[in-house]
Amino acid sequence: MSSRSTSRTNIPLEDSITEAGASLESILCTPELQRRPSRPPDYEKERRALVALMSALADSPTTIFETLAETILDITQCDSAGLSLLTRDGKKPDACGKRFYWPAIAGMWNPHVGGGTPRNFGPCGDVLDQNRTLLFRHFERRYPYLMPVIPAAEECLLVPFYVAGEAVGTVWAIMHSDRRKFDAEDDRVMASLGKFASSAYQAQIHIEDLKIQVAEREKAEAEVRELARGLDVKLRRLVEANVVGIVTWNLEGAIIDANDAFLRMVQYDRDDFTSGRVRWTDLTPPEWRGCSERAVADLKASRIFQPFEKEYFRKDGSRVPALVGGALFEGTGNEGLAFVLDLTAQKRAQETLQEAQQTLYTTQVELARVSRLTTMGELTASIAHEVNQPLTAITNNGNACLRLLANHNLDPGVLREVLQEIVADGTRASAVISRIRAFIKKKPAQKSLLHINDVIQEVLDLAAHEIQKNKILVERQLKQCSPLVFADRVQMQQVLLNLIMNGIEAMNAVTERARVLCVESAIDKSGDVLVAVCDSGTGIDADRDRFFTPFFTTKANGMGMGLPITRSLIEGHGGRLWAEPNFPNGAVFSFTLPVATGVAHA
Amino acid sequence: MPRAPVVFVVDDDPSVRSSLKFLISTVGLQVETFESAETALQKLSPEAPGCLVLDVRLRGLSGLDLQGELVARNCQVPIIFITGHGDIPMTVRAMKAGAVEFLTKPFRDQDLLDAISTALQRDRARREHENEIRELQQRFDLLTAREREVVSLVAAGKLNKQIADQLGTAENTIKVHRSRAMEKLRADSLADLVRIVEKLKEVSHAG
Repeated sequence: MSSRSTSRTNIPLEDSITEAGASLESILCTPELQRRPSRPPDYEKERRALVALMSALADSPTTIFETLAETILDITQCDSAGLSLLTRDGKKPDACGKRFYWPAIAGMWNPHVGGGTPRNFGPCGDVLDQNRTLLFRHFERRYPYLMPVIPAAEECLLVPFYVAGEAVGTVWAIMHSDRRKFDAEDDRVMASLGKFASSAYQAQIHIEDLKIQVAEREKAEAEVRELARGLDVKLRRLVEANVVGIVTWNLEGAIIDANDAFLRMVQYDRDDFTSGRVRWTDLTPPEWRGCSERAVADLKASRIFQPFEKEYFRKDGSRVPALVGGALFEGTGNEGLAFVLDLTAQKRAQETLQEAQQTLYTTQVELARVSRLTTMGELTASIAHEVNQPLTAITNNGNACLRLLANHNLDPGVLREVLQEIVADGTRASAVISRIRAFIKKKPAQKSLLHINDVIQEVLDLAAHEIQKNKILVERQLKQCSPLVFADRVQMQQVLLNLIMNGIEAMNAVTERARVLCVESAIDKSGDVLVAVCDSGTGIDADRDRFFTPFFTTKANGMGMGLPITRSLIEGHGGRLWAEPNFPNGAVFSFTLPVATGVAHA
Repeated sequence: MPRAPVVFVVDDDPSVRSSLKFLISTVGLQVETFESAETALQKLSPEAPGCLVLDVRLRGLSGLDLQGELVARNCQVPIIFITGHGDIPMTVRAMKAGAVEFLTKPFRDQDLLDAISTALQRDRARREHENEIRELQQRFDLLTAREREVVSLVAAGKLNKQIADQLGTAENTIKVHRSRAMEKLRADSLADLVRIVEKLKEVSHAG
């Protein structure tokens, strides 16, 4: 059969070529078909031709055009026969194509298979334009580009070729000599065979399309399978690498499987989980259950939960900090996968760093405290001595008088003298106290404009280590535009640090619920800045004002001076400090400060 | 008659000093006051009966320093400490060195007066004991060397015959030494003699 590799005739590839040479009429001789004596139809030959086309379709559908060309060659006894198809891509027939190509040629022109002509300037285009059979004589006179296609065509009969009702090409037969002339019978046979070939071709195209679709689907499926296999391999690699803990679980609380990394982390055996003895809910300490419940809610809503930090119980009851993230499997409903990253090393590093910072800070605070205490210690010693001396004298003198009175032995002269001493000592004691008060008042507050939220953040940073060490969850509910106050920064830090540390200490004993410290800033009804420090600790009893009494303490090593000093600092700024019970547990310590006047809120 | 006891008060605060003098005098006791440890040291003599009411915090030598100095001089006057702010280590130190009481100002008058009463009683008992020993010692000094030998052997429970054998003399000679010694020591009985010897032995061991 024909081969595409044969030498291609040099035919211009332009879409249209300017008209040159003879007119269309001068090369057409179609009416002669009817005038020439027609040979009788050879139905037997035609039947064989149809069978040949049918078997071509059945055996090797791609050769259907070659079979058509050879059949026409045989039946019409012409020198060359072939097919021209409009195409856009050189392969698939397309009525909008701009060029004909020759997919199949039998006979003398066979070497030109794969060549073609422009749509708008050539015999095939003329046939499609007129949508009927045309007979040409020496068409190269009008279409000179066909001159190199040898041998030259003495006569060429072209019949439209339809696919799906659209004319997409021509079936043609050529005589290179005047050995015989085409007649009406040739026209009929070619149209008939063309129609059959067209049907066969459509069937074939249809099958090809189906095959393409099937192939495409198979390819897509194969890709998905490959992807899935790749993912599976990658996932298994990840699981078996044991660089992170991987757990499969269900929403009911069962751990279906876990990799070695996770087992190492929590120090359980795989059996503990697969047997159902230990559930993931058992691994979560009570104060982290809130976070886990949030994750489950996220899973139910969006099938994934964002990674968050929590702790797990190990088998021995100790705890391991971890980062956890995961998702539900597609389709299964309540089973999912989670990764668990051991944060022990990170936490340790973080703690070391924070401890270093804390040590620095503690040293500073301790230094300040010691110097304050030293002053205070000296002060108390001084108070004790200076005030005790006159008090002792007064007490002694009074007691002595009482004794003498009881014995009816008190001389009025002696009494006068003693009373004068008592008065003098009383005056002396009050003078001492005035001196001390003056001394304490010596250092005035250094007030400046402060954003209260900044101070809150500074103190939370200062207390970060204590917060982390005591596993406190901090919530900030700070007013969007930070209220401005006119206050002493250090004193405000002392106030907040004292309240926050109290809150943390109050939650020390809490193990059965989350330890939540909430710091709020707001503007209250009277327009003052309101700051509240809420804890979920042991709470306060009815006698709330006792906290503010000097030397009252609930702490083992407390001095009972924190809240009285805190309150006096706040009152020194024109504010108020008070305590209330928190709901459902703990306490709220709130204070107000006047908003800085004459300054717009930032 | 022994001399009447005196309560010595040392406090650098004149009001406290005079109020203490007034209070203590209401129970009929004689009071002497000093404004510093130094002046008290000059005036106090071991012979003077009484007790010391001593403020811990003084200008110059402190109350605790004065206590140490008195012990060094073998002046055993009982001490009651008074202080504006006593702490535990200070109290322990004072009590270990023989203080009778440690009172924090301002104190209950009865507490001070009780402490003074205890101190004076202790001082009187000590002095009586010392006087008795001194008198016994004077009697003992009258004994000859042989009589002292005999007395110590009698006190050790030996019979006259055993003593005579040990000293290589006659039993009658021992009897004479023994009756002379009892006479000089004014011992009425063998038991009395043993008691006297034991008391003197105690002092010589202690001394």
